[in-house]
Amino acid sequence: MSLITLVALIRKEFLQALRDKRMMAMILAVPVIQLVLFGYAANLEIQHVPTVVVDADHSPESRDFLSGLGADGTYLLQTVADVRSAEDRLRRGTASLAVVIPRGFGKHLAAGEPESVQVLLDGSDPSRAIGASGAVEQYVIQYGTRVALARVAGLAVPAFGSVQLEPRLLYNPGLKSRRFMVPGTAASILLIITTIITAMGLAREREVGTMEQLLVTPMSPLTLMVGKVLPYAAFGFLDEGIILVVGNLLFDVPLRGNVLVILLSSLVYLVATLGMGLLISTVSKTQQQALMGGFFVILPAILLSGFMTPIEAMPLWVQPITWANPMRHFLEIVRSVLLRGASLQEVRRPLGMLVVLGVTVMVVATLRFRKQLL
Amino acid sequence: MNPRKTRQRSRPRRFFIRVYAMALKEWMHIVRDVRTLYFALGMPVVMLIAFGYAVSFDIDNVPTAVVDQDHSAQSRALVQHLFSGSTFRNAGSFERSDEVEAAFRRGDARLGLVIPKDYGRTLARGEPARVQLMVDAADNMTATSALSFAVRFGLERNNAMAWEVTGSRPWMLEARVRAMFNPGMRSALFLVPGLVSTIQAMMAVLLTALTVAREWERGTMEQLFATPVGRTEIVIGKLLPYFGVGMLQVLLILAAGTWLFGVPIRGPVVLVFAVSSLFLLATLGQGLLISVATKNQQVATQVAAVSSMLPSTLLSGFVMPIDNMPVPLQYLTRIIPSRYFVHSLRAIMLRDAPVAEILPDAAALLVFALVTVAISTLLFRRTVASVR
Repeated sequence: MSLITLVALIRKEFLQALRDKRMMAMILAVPVIQLVLFGYAANLEIQHVPTVVVDADHSPESRDFLSGLGADGTYLLQTVADVRSAEDRLRRGTASLAVVIPRGFGKHLAAGEPESVQVLLDGSDPSRAIGASGAVEQYVIQYGTRVALARVAGLAVPAFGSVQLEPRLLYNPGLKSRRFMVPGTAASILLIITTIITAMGLAREREVGTMEQLLVTPMSPLTLMVGKVLPYAAFGFLDEGIILVVGNLLFDVPLRGNVLVILLSSLVYLVATLGMGLLISTVSKTQQQALMGGFFVILPAILLSGFMTPIEAMPLWVQPITWANPMRHFLEIVRSVLLRGASLQEVRRPLGMLVVLGVTVMVVATLRFRKQLL
Repeated sequence: MNPRKTRQRSRPRRFFIRVYAMALKEWMHIVRDVRTLYFALGMPVVMLIAFGYAVSFDIDNVPTAVVDQDHSAQSRALVQHLFSGSTFRNAGSFERSDEVEAAFRRGDARLGLVIPKDYGRTLARGEPARVQLMVDAADNMTATSALSFAVRFGLERNNAMAWEVTGSRPWMLEARVRAMFNPGMRSALFLVPGLVSTIQAMMAVLLTALTVAREWERGTMEQLFATPVGRTEIVIGKLLPYFGVGMLQVLLILAAGTWLFGVPIRGPVVLVFAVSSLFLLATLGQGLLISVATKNQQVATQVAAVSSMLPSTLLSGFVMPIDNMPVPLQYLTRIIPSRYFVHSLRAIMLRDAPVAEILPDAAALLVFALVTVAISTLLFRRTVASVR
């Protein structure tokens, strides 16, 4: 591999990229705009849940229960007459939750008899309903505990102990979803940009016929490959830096760990994503095929990374598959270092996996690439 | 061809002949590239199957670390009770709470139960004993679920202990949760309509995004201009075959969704198809517009990827509730076709919503389709003029 030809090729690639103003805009401005938009959009917090209430009891107890439920503004309560109109609201989509207090609620509570509050949720729009109903359940249980303890205190039953769970929320006491989602958005933007640009760039040379021209130059395939990939790696790195700064300034994503660990893992991540792009380009003849192939790899990588749904929630047979996903490991590292302040030592497992994946993908891609050119 | 004969044909007839010829040419492009076609038809189904099984919010087996500083019979009973079900999984026992934090950082645990030294003695005195519950709140969704599991466990534990001593269960108030339209709370039911929309949004945009740009890059556009085919005819002729492929995709993916995951179609099937074809037109129009406007396959790709993939997952209401977004973003979601499709598909398939609720969605999709195709045609004319 000659250094002079390599430098010449890298220069050519940079010039070509810099000349294309629209391409530069796509590479540099769009990631930031996306991060800002999606950072604001990604909000799974439970707030202002439109809730309808049916109070069939009309007792002081039921009113006390409801005023406690509506106290912190999480639920926007609206009273309706009966269960049917509550169900109707849910069907029309104007409420996502309904709480029904049965007749006799106050009496049963005072007598210590079993009682239950019915919670109806709109199962067709889950992302908010599940969390919201979980929170209602928590409220019901805590309310019941308070009432029960107050009642038992006045009775002549033998004293018995109870467990009081005291939650301590670490790293994100406000349970803000943005902090958690921004690193994921960054990882997917990097993946989309680097993989597709690499795959398309090489497929383009092949489609337009300039690949043959490059081949008659005294360049070795390896030089060609490195020269093609390095500029994209540089752009990816630049994007990563911009995203980190914007995420910190705008969404107050903390940087609790060492920034060097982030940079190191980004480097390995980029090797993996660029390698995937290279690999895709070797199996596609046209840019359209490269594009399809790119999406075929990217979408699963995003959905199976733990970005939007936790990996623990996936079926047991799917979880091992996610081990082959570079984005999963990168995301684990970035989230742990940024939010939990993990050290290099503590993220060695995902980092090791990322290295293995990156090297494997790159080696396979290089071999295929060389075979195709020789 | 005899020029007089051409003149005799009526204008609309000529229009249809040219559109047909253009569509046929485009169709041959599609069929000749069999690999892309197989890919386009197979990929959505494979993706739906993979994600329908994989993507779920239901967390089970929360990995929980335990710090038992008491080492008493009572504390051991508490830990044993905690891990007796399938809700919590033992993620290791530690001596100090900062070791639990290290486990959080390594990603080994999400919850930590810290039982203090005097736990057993406090209980024996018949007093409430405090137990610290450490929650890794970095992931707020998992943390919220884990927290509500833990609160429920606390209730069970207290009832069990009270039963042993007094023979009564004082904690009597419970919530009975019923999910309407989805009694088993199966994730597939609400995810499948969303996935159909995400996958289809990408496929449609990808199909058409390169079609015009490719002709420019290869220089065949000039050849097209040499024929009597007009701009409108080119645009419509290019759309038609992809509409066919797209409808086939929608059919496959809906069939896979309903059969494999048992997602019901409670509303009229006709309505599902009506909304799907409108959505398809809208997204094909979006792809075409990108293709006409960029004239370069690489740029077209980037614009297509940026404008279809993340918006259709994040701004459509598929995962993130739209009313949780800041107001300017809520307005922005109105120009994302997936938003209307996700809403109407869920409404029709799961809730059997009245047609009146679907109409605004359908209208929005239609407007989007008309506007994108119209702008594509207009832009197309201008670029042709500038080339001359």
